[in-house]
Amino acid sequence: MSVLRSYFNKSRPALKELRFSFHLLNKNRLQRVSLIIIVVLFLIAIFAPFIAPYPHLIMRETNPVDRLQPPSARYWFGTDELGRDLFSRVLYGTRISLQTALIAVALALLIGVPLGAVAGAVSGFLDEVIMRITDIFLSFPPLLLAIAIAAFLGPTLENAMLAIAISWWPWYTRLIRGQAVSIRERQFVRAARAIGTSSTRIIFQHILPNCMAPVIVQASMDLGGVILTIAALSFLGLGAQPPTPEWGLLISTSRTYFLNAWWYSTFPGLAIFLTVLVFNLMGDGIREVLDPRTRKV
Amino acid sequence: MEKYFEIKNLAVSFNTFEGVKPVLNIEHIVIDRGETFGLVGESGAGKTVLALTILGLLPPHSAIIHHGHIWFDGEDLLQKSQKQLQDHIRGKRISMIFQDPMSTLNPVFSVGEQLGRVIERHQNIKGSQTRKRALEMLDLVKLPDASDMLRKYPHELSGGQRQRVIIAIALSCGAEFLIADEPTRNLDVTIQAGIMKLIDELQDELSISVLFIANNMGLVNVICDFVGILYRGRVVEMGASAQVIRQPAHPYTVTLLSAIPRSKSESLRFAKTDFRPDVDAGCPYYARCPLAIDNCRDGIPPLRNFGGRQQVACIRAKEGVML
Amino acid sequence: MIRFIVRRLFLGGVVLLGVILITFFLARVVPSDPAAKWAGPRATPAQIVQARLELGLDKPLPAQFYKYLTDLLQGNLGHSLRTRQPISQELKASLPATVELVLLSTLAAVLIGIPLGVISAKRKNEMVDHISRLFSVGVVSLPTFWIGLILQLVFFRILGIMPMGGQLSTHLRLTMEIPKITGFLTFDTLITGNFVLFLNAIWHLILPGITIALYPIGLVARMTRSALLEILNEDYITAARSYGLAERTVLWAYALKNSLGPTSTVVALSIGYTLVNTFLTETIFAWPGIGSYIATAVIGLDYPAIMGVTIFSALSYVVLNLIADIVVALDPRVRV
Repeated sequence: MSVLRSYFNKSRPALKELRFSFHLLNKNRLQRVSLIIIVVLFLIAIFAPFIAPYPHLIMRETNPVDRLQPPSARYWFGTDELGRDLFSRVLYGTRISLQTALIAVALALLIGVPLGAVAGAVSGFLDEVIMRITDIFLSFPPLLLAIAIAAFLGPTLENAMLAIAISWWPWYTRLIRGQAVSIRERQFVRAARAIGTSSTRIIFQHILPNCMAPVIVQASMDLGGVILTIAALSFLGLGAQPPTPEWGLLISTSRTYFLNAWWYSTFPGLAIFLTVLVFNLMGDGIREVLDPRTRKV
Repeated sequence: MEKYFEIKNLAVSFNTFEGVKPVLNIEHIVIDRGETFGLVGESGAGKTVLALTILGLLPPHSAIIHHGHIWFDGEDLLQKSQKQLQDHIRGKRISMIFQDPMSTLNPVFSVGEQLGRVIERHQNIKGSQTRKRALEMLDLVKLPDASDMLRKYPHELSGGQRQRVIIAIALSCGAEFLIADEPTRNLDVTIQAGIMKLIDELQDELSISVLFIANNMGLVNVICDFVGILYRGRVVEMGASAQVIRQPAHPYTVTLLSAIPRSKSESLRFAKTDFRPDVDAGCPYYARCPLAIDNCRDGIPPLRNFGGRQQVACIRAKEGVML
Repeated sequence: MIRFIVRRLFLGGVVLLGVILITFFLARVVPSDPAAKWAGPRATPAQIVQARLELGLDKPLPAQFYKYLTDLLQGNLGHSLRTRQPISQELKASLPATVELVLLSTLAAVLIGIPLGVISAKRKNEMVDHISRLFSVGVVSLPTFWIGLILQLVFFRILGIMPMGGQLSTHLRLTMEIPKITGFLTFDTLITGNFVLFLNAIWHLILPGITIALYPIGLVARMTRSALLEILNEDYITAARSYGLAERTVLWAYALKNSLGPTSTVVALSIGYTLVNTFLTETIFAWPGIGSYIATAVIGLDYPAIMGVTIFSALSYVVLNLIADIVVALDPRVRV
């Protein structure tokens, strides 16, 4: 065993790096648990229709007989003002939150990454213009732009996703540009340029793949924040509309009743809290692994 | 007779993700009052670790001191608490000069602020008296325009100037024992000479003992009375520098000495190569030693007397290693 | 140095212009017809046309923008569709309440968050550190609007020791005269010596205050901790220790000053996040600030009002960052 270990240590520095990264990631019990919970959340999102005890009682179908029931063996989280099962609604909310978060982030990446890659690769006037525009967008207080956009476009979940994408992309642009600038000075890029490869090809085939890593990391860390933002927008009436069982919307609706129906506010909020928490913990773990400074033993 | 400064059986390891790695395993080092002791070893040999261990500045979470004694003027430093070290030893009696002048000075404070704070800590003065003392210290290290220098920030100074400032700060504590950890490492060769000369003069002027850490014999030769050779955490040879240089007894010492090119034909005689795979037990130099035999694997050779004050840790030492 | 400030001011101006431009375009994206809204639900087509002329919507886009810009420079933010009052006036009235909350949260972030981060870094991996880190990551994951509701539930409904919302209790509002000097309720009541009102105002500040302060405290604590950990590993800290300086000095005098740069960046950032959290908190606690104003505007689709608040907040934020940047530039390490 030690022979194997010494072999790996001596002759394969790359493998050693991998082992080190994994060791760091696994080291923290909290992060391991977070990873498991995230997987569970995704499973819930995917299999919601099968797990929810009352899959029909989540949107339009109502059950006025059982309105505002406290948690019981029948309704684990209680019911809302229309008799719908809160537990099922919260489960479906997982689906909505994860889905919209992923789409919003994907959109932001779609806008921000190419812009940043171009800015970093070509420099000069185009670079300046793109970066100034990025600065302007970044000058808005976080989320304010999302609120404004969502308000002006009209309050739907789709517009909320769009609004978030529009306010989030500058971060990625800035990140990618920094990476691209350092990559473009590397040998293989110069070589490609020397043999006359077109700029577009250089950008997309050579530079971009090498920049993606920190961006992917940042994006996965952002998921928690995006989920929170969507909930906040829906709470303000700017995102999901009734009867969609989005967590933020649930909390907003609950305001009318929660003083006498504590479960109505509590459980959706707990769902948001837990989800964002595990994403943040995971993000911390990833950052710890990749940040060269915290790797010092 | 009690020794002024003595390290005995010191074993230090570091906690890495691959397990506990031994870094220092020092049998014996002795330094007398007023002496200059040079510690020579290659990078990674553990020299800085030793310096930090003496002052108790090892990172608490990853360093383990297994056992050992560091006797200083009758007290065992390893038995002291952080607070005791901080109040009585550090700066006051033992001071240290670090390797990298840029990273040793705090970038957001001016020279005057850093120097002044240390002065005020160790001497009961304030205000204008501190300033006076600070100017004196800067003069001591031969920095021109001292009053101008006080206002400057570290990034405005050259490498040589920074190192002198650091020496000034280290000495302003009034220590009697100075640890100089490769103080000329990051400086140009011409500046190196100046710093070495400064340290030599200061040592005479202030009658301090110096533990001078270096990675080549050339530097040590200049100012050190005694020298110890460190290889992978172990002292493999020790003695009066003149004697060791004239008559190196350990194969590694020979390698170090021949690494100083004296003429074209003489250089690179003992080029570094791994003759054979490493062994866990046995002499740490086994892998690279041109004189290694099977017996060398049997155990770590202890330091034995070689003549005069010279000591060697090699079982083949007596066989006159001057190939 | 001067060059840097001038350059930064110029960039700031460009950014401001860009922000205004973007907000202007946003407003034009609106699906419904602002003229129709302005004229009212029972307007005749003629009245709608009249409204269009009044609002200057018949002119070409660049002309509209020019008018918008000049209006802005004079402090004219337009009129609310709902109340028909000048928006700038309504903003002025709502501002103090929001500033109270923002100040409170920033103060809490600095006075609680920074020491928490420092202690956490100093006692790394000890129990204090673990608890503090869990706390920090926890509060940063909390939805502000939710924790506000929970606090209301527990302290108002269940325990009955806190008010549900508003800045003052209703019976006081009806029976006593509310001083209006600066507009800051706590300040005004204090300096006029009206202690009943003052204590009542403080009492009403507690729950919203806690709600709004949690996120910045967590954020600042986290950032301070990581900045400090990095700094404590630096050679100059080990060197400072080797000179025999007291640990207290090394930590609070040296390391803290080194962390000022990243820390002030975080504080500025936390103010930005606090802004939106303030909106949410005000909604929950019926706090009469800008947040409530914009929340009402959103529900009523009062686009000019929404735009007015957006512009105002964005501009304040830009100016704030400008000031922060210039302050940081005074750091001798920034080689300009």
